[in-house]
Amino acid sequence: MTNLPLLSLLIGLPLLGALALGLGQLKEQARSIAIGLSTLQLALLGYIYSAFDNTSGLFQFNETHNWFSISIGSMGQFMSKYTLGVDGLSISLILLTGLITWVALWNSTDIKEKIGGYYALVLLLNASIMGCFLAKDLFLFYVFFEFMLLPMYFLIGIWGGPRRNYASLKFFIYTLVGSLLILIVMLGMGVAYVDPYETALLNGLIRPEQGFNLEALKAVQQLIQSQELATSSLVHSFDMQALADYNNCQITSILHISSGWALAGMSARECGFWLLFIGFAIKLPMVPLHTWLPDAHVEAPTPISVLLAGVLLKIGAYGWLRITIPFFQAEAIEAANILAGLGALSIVYGAYNALAMTDLKKLVAYSSVSHMGFVLIGIAAFTAEGWQGAIFQTISHGVLSALLFLMVGVLYSRTGNREIDSYSGLVTLMPRFTVISGIAIFASLGLPGFSGFIGEFFSLMGAFTSPFVHPGIAVLGALGLLLGAGYLLWTFQKIYLGKHYQKNADWSLPDLTKLELLSLFGLGIISILLGVYPGLLFELSEKFVTGLLK
Amino acid sequence: MGLNLLFLGVLLLPWASALLVALFPKPLFSISLSAVFSVAALYFCTTAPVDFKIAYPWFNLGGQSLNASFWANASAQLVLGLVALVSFCVQLFSKSYLKDDPSIGRYYLYLHLFVGSMTLLLLTDSILIFYGAWELVGACSYLLISFWHQKSAATKAAKKAFLINRFGDIALLFGLIALGFHFNTWQFSAMHGIAPTLIGIAIIAGGMAKSAQFPLMSWLPDAMEGPTPASALIHAATMVAAGVFVGVRVFDITGPETHLFMGIIGAISFLAGAVFALFQNDIKKTLAYSTISQLGLMWMGMGSDASLFHLLTHGIFKAGLFLAAGAVIHTVHSQSLNDMGGLRKKAPVAALAYLIFGAGLMGLPLTGGFYSKESIAGYLYTSGHVELLIVLALGMVLTSFYISRQFYLIFMGPLKEGSSTKEFALPISILIIASLFIWISVNPLEMHENTLISIYHIPSFWLYITAATWVLGIAGAYVTRNWIPAGNYQFLPRFWPSLFRFIRWKSRSAQVFETQFIDRFVNGIAALQVIIAHLTAWFDKHIVDGILVGGSAGLSAGTGRILSRWQSAKVQSYWAMIIVTFALFLLYALFIK
Repeated sequence: MTNLPLLSLLIGLPLLGALALGLGQLKEQARSIAIGLSTLQLALLGYIYSAFDNTSGLFQFNETHNWFSISIGSMGQFMSKYTLGVDGLSISLILLTGLITWVALWNSTDIKEKIGGYYALVLLLNASIMGCFLAKDLFLFYVFFEFMLLPMYFLIGIWGGPRRNYASLKFFIYTLVGSLLILIVMLGMGVAYVDPYETALLNGLIRPEQGFNLEALKAVQQLIQSQELATSSLVHSFDMQALADYNNCQITSILHISSGWALAGMSARECGFWLLFIGFAIKLPMVPLHTWLPDAHVEAPTPISVLLAGVLLKIGAYGWLRITIPFFQAEAIEAANILAGLGALSIVYGAYNALAMTDLKKLVAYSSVSHMGFVLIGIAAFTAEGWQGAIFQTISHGVLSALLFLMVGVLYSRTGNREIDSYSGLVTLMPRFTVISGIAIFASLGLPGFSGFIGEFFSLMGAFTSPFVHPGIAVLGALGLLLGAGYLLWTFQKIYLGKHYQKNADWSLPDLTKLELLSLFGLGIISILLGVYPGLLFELSEKFVTGLLK
Repeated sequence: MGLNLLFLGVLLLPWASALLVALFPKPLFSISLSAVFSVAALYFCTTAPVDFKIAYPWFNLGGQSLNASFWANASAQLVLGLVALVSFCVQLFSKSYLKDDPSIGRYYLYLHLFVGSMTLLLLTDSILIFYGAWELVGACSYLLISFWHQKSAATKAAKKAFLINRFGDIALLFGLIALGFHFNTWQFSAMHGIAPTLIGIAIIAGGMAKSAQFPLMSWLPDAMEGPTPASALIHAATMVAAGVFVGVRVFDITGPETHLFMGIIGAISFLAGAVFALFQNDIKKTLAYSTISQLGLMWMGMGSDASLFHLLTHGIFKAGLFLAAGAVIHTVHSQSLNDMGGLRKKAPVAALAYLIFGAGLMGLPLTGGFYSKESIAGYLYTSGHVELLIVLALGMVLTSFYISRQFYLIFMGPLKEGSSTKEFALPISILIIASLFIWISVNPLEMHENTLISIYHIPSFWLYITAATWVLGIAGAYVTRNWIPAGNYQFLPRFWPSLFRFIRWKSRSAQVFETQFIDRFVNGIAALQVIIAHLTAWFDKHIVDGILVGGSAGLSAGTGRILSRWQSAKVQSYWAMIIVTFALFLLYALFIK
C-alpha cells in the first residue's frame, strides 16, 4: 500500500468521481457514487493517519514529479514541480476535509434539482481543497486555490437562496482579489529566490543520487549570496521550502533586505508580507474583509454552508501558517501587535454583529468570524501555546461550525424560516434536537470539556504570555468569550426554552431523523473527544510548531 | 495502589453516574449511585494522606508535558467531604420534592454532572483543569436554574447567572494564566513565594462572581428560580463556596494586599447581604441574601483556614436551612412569608432543623458556626484588622436579627395554612446529625485542635461582644415581632417610626442602589451591548459592506464601464477592474525595477 501514490489518490478519487458524474448521465446513482468515493477517501485518510509518524517534523508520503520548466533568458530558468506531502499542519486539516465533506454529502438530501451536477461539484470542491492542503509547491497550491472558486461559485449560484447571484458573485470577486494579491507576491518571490537544490544539480555541484545535505545546502547558498554563479545558470522554483529560506534570496532582488526599494515607507518585504497576509485574511475571513461571508452563508444551501465554514475558511489560517509566516517571519513578528489587534477586532466585532442578528444563519455566520479571530490572535503570539491553540481552534471550529450550520439546516428544512423570533419553546416538540443544540451551543461558547475551550484557551494564553503582543489585546479578545456566551445563550433561550410558539401554525416540526441525529451527535462526540483529550491534535502538530518556531 | 484506584473512582464515579442516569432515569437508582459516591469520597477523605498527589499523563505542548495532576490537600479533602454529604442529602430530599415532575431524570442527571465538576474543581492541581471545572460548575448551575424551562423568569435568571459568572471567569482566566507564567509552572502545588498583587486581585475578582460578592451579587437571589434542593446544593453549600475555595488555594502565594482586598469585598457583602435579608418576603430570597452575607464572612477570613472552616460549617447549616425551607414550601405551597406562620406543629422536623441550623448561622455555642465565627474573629485579631472586627460584630447583630425574626415568622404565632408532612425527615435529620457530630467538642467554648485545619484564637473579650450581638439580634427580632403587619413585613413601618424610617430609608437606598443602580448598571451594560450590537450591525451593513465594499464595487464597475464601453454585464466590469488593477501594478513594478 505504501507504494501507491496515496496523496494523489486523495485528490484523484473525487476528481475522477466529479468527471464521471459530470460527463455521464448518472442522475440516479449520483448520491451513492459521491458518498462511496467520499467513504473511500475517508478510509485512505484513516490509513494515512495511522501510518503518519508524528515524531518527525518532515513531510511524509512525499510525491515529486517534474511539471514544467521554462527558460527566462538571462535570469536563468523557472521550474514548477508537482510535489505533494503531509506534515503536522496539514494532516489534521485533510482529516477534517474528508470528514466534513462526508457529512455534508450525507446531509444533501434536500437537494432535488440537477443532482448529478451538484454531487460532481462537491467532489470537485473536495479535490481542490485537498490539493491546497497537500501541495508543497506554491504554484501548485495556487492552482488548487484558484480552482476552488469555480465549484463554490456554481454551488451557491445554482442551488442557493433568492439572492444567490449577488452572494456568489460577491464571494467570487472577494476571493479572486485575495488570490491576485497572493499571485503578485508569488511571482515576485519566484524571481527573487533561487532553488538551491535544482541550481546545484544544474551546475553539476551534486549528483542526483547523492541527495542533498545541510552542508551542500550551505555551500550552494554561499554561492548564491556571493553572486559567484552566473544569473543565467540559476534555477527559480516555487518550492515552498526554498521560498521559506531567506538565504536563498538573491542579493540584487528587491526582496533582499539590503534593497532600498520602498513603497509608501514600506520595504518590499513588508509589502510582500501584507499582500500575502491580506490575501489569506479574506479567506479566513478577518474583519473588515468579511462581508462576503454572511451573504454567502445565508444564500448557500445547508451542506454548502457546512463545507464553507467547516473547511474552506480554514485555508486562510493554513495559508498564514504555511506561507505567510515562514516566508516573512521577521516582518510578521514586527507586525505581531497589529495582527493580534485585528484578531481581537474580529472576535469582538463578529460577536457584536452576531448579537444583533435576527436570522439564525447569519448569527452563526458572524459567530464564525468571531471564532476565527481566535486563530489570528493565537498565530500572532509566536509562542508554542498560541500556535497550537490556533491550529486546534481551526480544527475545532471546523467541527463546531458544521454542527451549528446543520442545526440551522434542521429548522430550515422543516419550515423554510430562519428567523429566531419565529420559534420558541421547541423543547416540547423536539426534545432530542434541543439536547443536541444545547450541546452545540455550549461547545461553541467554549465550555470546558468541548474542543472550543481548548482552542480559545491556548490561543488567548499564547497571546497573553507572548513577548511580542501587548497583553491588553488578549484581554480585549477575551471579551469575545463573554459576548459569545451572550448571543449563544440568548439564542438557546429564545428558540428552545420557554413556552412553545411557532409563527406559522401549519409548520410541522417533527424531531430529528436518524440521519440528522447521527450526523449531529457524531460531530458532538468528536468535539467532546478533542476537548477531553486534546493531545489527539496537539501530538500531530507538535513537531510542526516547534520546527517553525525555530 | 488501592488508594489510587479509590481516587480514580471518586473522580470518575459522578460522570459514570450521569451517563447511567441518562440511560435509566429512576430516582432510586440515582440515589444509590450517589450513595456509592458519597461513601467512596468520605472513605477517601478519611484514609488519604494530607498531601495526596497523583498525576496522569495528558498531552504535550511546545515540548512541555502537561499532566492531568491532582492534589488532594487538607482543604480539598474537607470540602470534598462536605460535597459528598450534602449532595447525598439533596439527592434523597429531591425524590419527594420533585416526585410529580416528569423530567426528574434530567434533574438527577444535572446533579451528578455538578458533583463531578465540583469534585474535579476541588481535587485538581492543574491550573487548566481548575479553570475548566470552574466553568463547568457554572454551566451546571445554568442547567439547574433553568430546569423549569417553561418559566421565563427561570431561563432569564439562568442566563444572567451564567453571564455574570462568565465576567468573573475572564478575570480568573487571566489571573490564573499570569500566576502560572509568574511561577513558571502549571501546578498549584509547585508554586512557592508571593505573586504580584495584581495577579492575586484578578484571581479574587474571578471568585467574586462565583461567590456572588459585591458588586456582582445580583444573580444569586434570581437564581432561586431553580428547584429548592438544587439551590441548597449549588447556590448555598458548595458551588458558591468555590469562590472562597479559590481564595484558600492561593492564600499562601498571595500577599497581604490581596488578602485585604478580599477582606474588604467580604465585609461589604457581609453587611449588605444581611441588611437585604431583613427586607425580603420570599423565604428563599432571604436565604439567598443570607448566603451572600455568609460568603462575605468567609471572604473576611481572607482565604485563611478560618475561611475554610466557616465554609464547611456554613455548608452544612445553610444546606440544612434550604432543605427545611423546601419542606416548608412544600407544606404551604408558597414561597411568600405572608402565607407562613405557626408551622411548628405542622412541620416539626423542619422547625427543629430551622432552630438548630439557625443557631449555627447565628453562631451559638455547641454549633459549628460558633467555632468558625470565632476563628474568623481570631484571624482578624491576630492579623491586626480591628476595623473589620467591628464590621463583624455589626454583621453578627444583623444576622441574629434576621434569622430569629424569620424563624418567628415561619414557625411561631398563629397557624395560617399548611398540611403536615413528614416526607423530608430523613435527609434533614442526616444533616442535623452531621452538624452536631462533626463539630461538637467537650468544651462548648473551646474547639479542639485538629490536624486538618488550624484554628485562630481571640482573647475572651470577644466572647462578651459575641454574646451581646446575640442578645441585640434576638431582642431586635422579639421587639419587632408585634409590629409586623401581616400584609407587608418586608418593611416595618410602625416600628419606632423615626428610626425605622431612617433604617428603611438607608436600607431602601441601599436596595435602590442595589436594584436601581448596580442591577440597572448591569442591565444597562447588557442593554448597551445590544445597542452597540445593532450599531455595529448597521455599520457593517451600510458602511463596511455598503460604502466600502459596495462603493469600491461601484467604482470598479464604473471604471470597467468607462474602460470597456461595449460591456454592460456586471461580471465583465468586475473582471475589467481586476485586470486593470493588476496591469497597473505590473507596470508600476516593472517601471520601478
